Amino acid sequence: ALIRRRLFKARNTLVDFQWKLGMAVSSDTCRSLKYPYVAVMLKVADHSGQVKTKCFEMTIPQFQNFYRQFKEIAAVIETV
Amino acid sequence: MAAGEVEGGKPLNGLLNALAQETFHGHPGITEELLRSQLYPEVPPEEFRPFLAKMRGILKSIASADMDFNQLEAYLTAQTKKQGGITSDQAAVISKFWKSHKTKIRESLMNQSRWNSGLRGLSWRVDGKSQSRHSAQIHMPVAVIELELGKYGQESEFLCLEFDEVKVNQILKTLSEVEESITTLISQPN
Repeated sequence: ALIRRRLFKARNTLVDFQWKLGMAVSSDTCRSLKYPYVAVMLKVADHSGQVKTKCFEMTIPQFQNFYRQFKEIAAVIETV
Repeated sequence: MAAGEVEGGKPLNGLLNALAQETFHGHPGITEELLRSQLYPEVPPEEFRPFLAKMRGILKSIASADMDFNQLEAYLTAQTKKQGGITSDQAAVISKFWKSHKTKIRESLMNQSRWNSGLRGLSWRVDGKSQSRHSAQIHMPVAVIELELGKYGQESEFLCLEFDEVKVNQILKTLSEVEESITTLISQPN
């Protein structure tokens, strides 16, 4: 992992992680979308205790990469 | 020379590319006049306009239905048989274009329909954290994760999160539940 300037910014802690698995079926620009996605809602607290909500979506390949990275983090943190 | 009679696949291929850029990939600003003068200079503007509209309509229909190759062939054949439709040469150019650009266009359509932020990137590192000079050194590793999030067409936002080992494992458990859901979904016949 690269150490970047931004990693020294204010850090938040994760208070809650909610998820849902959705399927986009159709839209005004594309009648035949049909793709599954993972929607995530994070509740994060900053150093003052203030809680913010952050939402984002991942395609299935993006989720699999996300999951794989967390497994790597777990493996590393275990050995430190 | 009418637009329908101008051939050689290159001008039409160029036109389709420009249409795709504008319609799907979010790069507008290619004017009709620029397209005409670059690709079909011998075609008068009043003839070019309906020709452009026809090609745009065909491309949008194909993308909207996410046509597979059978559907594409049937659709294009029907277009060649219509009054004011397309030539079979044009059908061949369109078919080749869709086959090579389908994946990219579909990805753009997916991005456009996502109104939440997408995950653009993830970086992380693990720090060993030591505490307290005055009592026994406590070594608490911490994972620092940076998520790059962004909505379609907007700048990225960076979210920096800190996790201890317990939290990392909690998240891992949650993520395995997500994966189980995905597996169930994919294994269902649709």
